[in-house]
Amino acid sequence: MKAIEIIGKGEEMHGRAYIPSGREEAGTIIKKLKENGFAHFVMLSCVDWIDKNEFELVYHMWSYEHKEHAMISVRLPRDNPSMFSMHELFPQIETYEREIHEMYGIDFEGNSRLTPFLLEGWHDTPPMRKDFDSKKFAEDVFDSIPEIKEEEDEGI
Amino acid sequence: MVDFLIKIAVIALYTTIAMLVGILFMGIGRKIVARVHNRVGPPVYQGFIDIAKLLTKKTNISHGWIYDLALLFSLTGIILTILFLPIGGVKLLGTEGDAFLVLYLLAIPALGFALGAGASGNPNAAIGVMRALVMMLSYELPFVITMIALMIYYDTSSIAQIVELQRARWAIMIPPFMLAAAVADMALQGMLMEAPFDIPTAPHEIASGPMAEFGGKHLGSLMLYKAGTIVAYTTLFVDLFLGGGVVMHDGSILSYIVNFAVWFLLILLIFTLSLLINASFPRFRIEQAFKFYWKYEALLAFISLIWVYLMVIS
Amino acid sequence: MGLSDGDIMRYEEWNKISRIASRKSLWMLHFCTGCGAVELPPVMTSRYDMERFGMGPMATPRQADVLLITGYLTVKTLKRVVNVYEQMQSPKYVISFGSCPINGGMYWDSYNTVKRLDRYLPVDVYVGGCMPRPEGVMNAFLELMKLIDEGKARGWEKYQKYYEQYKRNQKMAFGFERGKNEGD
Repeated sequence: MKAIEIIGKGEEMHGRAYIPSGREEAGTIIKKLKENGFAHFVMLSCVDWIDKNEFELVYHMWSYEHKEHAMISVRLPRDNPSMFSMHELFPQIETYEREIHEMYGIDFEGNSRLTPFLLEGWHDTPPMRKDFDSKKFAEDVFDSIPEIKEEEDEGI
Repeated sequence: MVDFLIKIAVIALYTTIAMLVGILFMGIGRKIVARVHNRVGPPVYQGFIDIAKLLTKKTNISHGWIYDLALLFSLTGIILTILFLPIGGVKLLGTEGDAFLVLYLLAIPALGFALGAGASGNPNAAIGVMRALVMMLSYELPFVITMIALMIYYDTSSIAQIVELQRARWAIMIPPFMLAAAVADMALQGMLMEAPFDIPTAPHEIASGPMAEFGGKHLGSLMLYKAGTIVAYTTLFVDLFLGGGVVMHDGSILSYIVNFAVWFLLILLIFTLSLLINASFPRFRIEQAFKFYWKYEALLAFISLIWVYLMVIS
Repeated sequence: MGLSDGDIMRYEEWNKISRIASRKSLWMLHFCTGCGAVELPPVMTSRYDMERFGMGPMATPRQADVLLITGYLTVKTLKRVVNVYEQMQSPKYVISFGSCPINGGMYWDSYNTVKRLDRYLPVDVYVGGCMPRPEGVMNAFLELMKLIDEGKARGWEKYQKYYEQYKRNQKMAFGFERGKNEGD
């Protein structure tokens, strides 16, 4: 795989290049890939590995030259997770970072737009974390709302 | 005194008939467009139901007195325009030089409409009003040139007299006026705000533009205004080029009825033509519409004007 | 209020005219932030042709009579739906389309889907299914016409009458009464 040759580490996974990276070196890896043909930043996703007490950030990149998909994986601790913002490299990362900040509570240093994005007035645990009980929340909040009590009369 | 009362009664009757015809035409128009789309379409009396529904709405939001009065302003303007146009050869308020007056009167309803939409404070309405006024500026140039050509040929500036002088031969049968009528018909398309010139009220782009904030009784009066414009503009076209629908001249009761029927059929024909164009074309952007009117239409109108002038002086 | 029997009768007659007119001329505002918007083009165009019954899509809430809510509603969109509903002119009707506004549908345990629409807005007609077909929309409109004819489509009067209860429920969903974001 071309991406693995460029970076010098990683493995092939389901036809994609999987490159594990540390928190600090991820920026240099992405920059190096960008300079070597991986011009398309596809998306930034996040996985909550609650058993290992880790978050995994996955930066997906695509190369039109090599027809290759590269994934840069960064593992972060679940307590006070924080990552460097990459929005200088690809401006669209800023939006992905906003979403992940909102849904997982990961802080991105250097991103100045970490304001409420999709949720409104959310002050609970970030909802995509595995320890957030969505069913219980829905029962507590939405099922507790009472029905409209109508008076028994016809002459509205 | 009695004459005066009779005159007022006749004027009221004419206005009512014109409005009813306009509302009926809205339903017929929707039916025709539906048939072009291979749909069944609403019943032809749908316009009456819509207006009745809107006028019986329980709540009506007002945006201030300008918003309320502007609608009356445009409705009055359009009724006044109708009264200055000979319908079926009957002139009500027409005087010497009323062709110029009608040109001014045609601007009043559009301005009232713009005033009401502006007072509603909706940004979409503001964009729509701006486009409507640019559109008005665009179609007026070719239309005025064709009207000047008619005035030169018939040597009068009274619409009633133009209708009278077309007794022997309708204007559209004279070669230069065929060209002029084609130009005026496209101008009519812009006046009626039908496609391809419906950008001022485009529902998908600017949420129906000037009408965005109108609801309930206000929208009902706006539809009455719309019904009035259909009658006024098509009647103006019929008066100028198709002899006002006058086929019998003996002044008997029968001739009034026949002339009225012919007038009705002719404005229906013109309106149908406009709707068929409407149903088959997408819409122009505002600068394309402006270019169309000022470049091609105005040029054709100008050619017909020079042609008429050469005919008159030779 | 000192209304005589004749006044009340005239008022009833007037209401009847109003009902007949509004039954045959239902203008619809479709609020399609969830799914289901794709079911509406066949309803409007030549396949099912809703204009036969005088119905038609409208561009703004001020002009519309019927609010058609398709698909799930999140807390964020509920705010907008309430806004839109309150801008409409009475008499106004709400049709909820799909399973999600009935009981949450497949989003029954979602953290962000308000499950039952009728706790926040008065719903006149429900269309069940995920997704209902265009026939469902047509059927709902015919049902609504029947209800209007019988004078039973009174959601808007209910909203006025129980306004405080509706507002309380809306505020609870928006999180005012959870006490966590005062002043939002």
